[in-house]
Amino acid sequence: MTTRPAPDSRGPGRAYWRSGADGVLRLPRCTACGRLFWYPRTHCPHCGSDAIDWVATGGRGRIYTFTVVRQSPEPFFAARVPYVVAMVELAEGPRVMANVVDCDVESVRIGMPVSVLFEDLGEDIYVPLFRPAVGGAG
Amino acid sequence: MATSSLRDKYCIVGVGETEYSRHSGRTTRAMAVEAVRKAILDAGLRAADIDGMMSYQNGDSTPANWVAPDLGIRLNFYMDVLGGGSSTEALIGLAMGAIEAGMCRAVAIFRSMNGYTEFRIGGTGARAAQPVRGLDLAQVPFGMRSAGQNFAMTFMRHMYEYGTTSEQVAHVKVAHSKHASQNPKALLKDRVTVQDVVSSRWIVKPLHLLDCCLETDNATCVIVTSAERARNLRQRPIYVMGVAGRVSKPRTDFHWAHGPISRVAGYYAKDIVFGQAGITPEDVDITGSYDAFTFTTMLQLEEYGFCKKGEGGDYVSSGIIELGGKRPNNTAGGHLCEGYTHGMNMVIENVRQLRGTADDYCPKAADGVHTYDYGPRMCRQVRDPEITMNLGWAMPPTGSALILRR
Repeated sequence: MTTRPAPDSRGPGRAYWRSGADGVLRLPRCTACGRLFWYPRTHCPHCGSDAIDWVATGGRGRIYTFTVVRQSPEPFFAARVPYVVAMVELAEGPRVMANVVDCDVESVRIGMPVSVLFEDLGEDIYVPLFRPAVGGAG
Repeated sequence: MATSSLRDKYCIVGVGETEYSRHSGRTTRAMAVEAVRKAILDAGLRAADIDGMMSYQNGDSTPANWVAPDLGIRLNFYMDVLGGGSSTEALIGLAMGAIEAGMCRAVAIFRSMNGYTEFRIGGTGARAAQPVRGLDLAQVPFGMRSAGQNFAMTFMRHMYEYGTTSEQVAHVKVAHSKHASQNPKALLKDRVTVQDVVSSRWIVKPLHLLDCCLETDNATCVIVTSAERARNLRQRPIYVMGVAGRVSKPRTDFHWAHGPISRVAGYYAKDIVFGQAGITPEDVDITGSYDAFTFTTMLQLEEYGFCKKGEGGDYVSSGIIELGGKRPNNTAGGHLCEGYTHGMNMVIENVRQLRGTADDYCPKAADGVHTYDYGPRMCRQVRDPEITMNLGWAMPPTGSALILRR
């Protein structure tokens, strides 16, 4: 029995990986230029400011690009091929990486509406995943 | 963007390589020594003439200052940098800079790797055992780690935006396999068809097995010195017209989050390298494009302007990139068929093409006598090439380029 590889939740990623505790996906926002971004950094990748806060998203978006992995060196994933890794463009703008689950891998398309769910890894880490959205991209 | 230029002031004067294999049974040190020594002999230099040495690696090789003593070389300059693809071209530029600065006079640049028996890029073996760090932090929870997985997102988006098909891009493998069939050194010498490529098993969408490059054990070397010195050496001097190294897209650590991801770093590198050389893509006779995957060659050729953006699929399937076509690419078979050296074998091939001494099956190839019959196990020398271009590539957001002339 292998477990999903955990992210490094130290530093600026901490709030992201904890965000799903209440079922809400949050993103870092630069309070200097007002833009949201992903992935979490100590400074804004748009303007370089270190004034960062966190805002809740609706957890919905569309698949910007994806791949279907059929061979993986990681034991956890090798036991789960084929699986989908996607960049999801959230309704709020930023693109986030995640697996797309709860669907046939052959049905996944660029532009497909998806919504977030979380996998509880313990240790206060909730990995965001996406599945086909009911009712569109929102 | 205008940058300064050292056009025609530096030359590649020697090239050398070991066998491309999956069973070297040797250390990276022993292989590096062989490749450097062969390049020195090829140039007609003595070991004592080399006073600079550089390498690139990912913690999988032997540093320059351990290789030089095995050849009786005392160095005035050495440097080993982290990195794989896109390093060859960048280090040629850095070697020119070191000589220009008066730090040394002739630099041997090598890459030595047991890419099959020790450190496999595909994500197995020693690489998979490495700790998670840096770029991997936000990817490992989602099973995103190997090179193919990292590239696939860009390829999928290109297909979506431009209608590029698997069959079009398979022609890159077809062309390179044709070229490898005329290369005694190539690991894979059998020609393949488009159908062979698209019916091989899936690795990671849209990559089939035959869309992916080889993993091999080998060492390669090129020697850089001044044009003034090159004119008195054994080989016809091959001049550096322009070089761009490790040019990057925004957010190299996670470029999928930013900008159009079907755009690659050549978008930023092309003005630097063509600006230095004072030429356009139409002037290039042979390209040497980094073919970690069939798609990487297609993307680079369009980004550097050999065709319009989005028309790479048409370009690579038109016959232009095959021997006998207008502008053949990777005439020795490249990483898909000859062997995997993180880019250096494509530079070595272009040097030999410009000299007129491609080491094919023609009996007097070393003397520059060729049949120009591009049938299997025959000739791979292009007729009278004047200018070549190498398009180096690391991960999707970084690239390098090198323009050479005879």
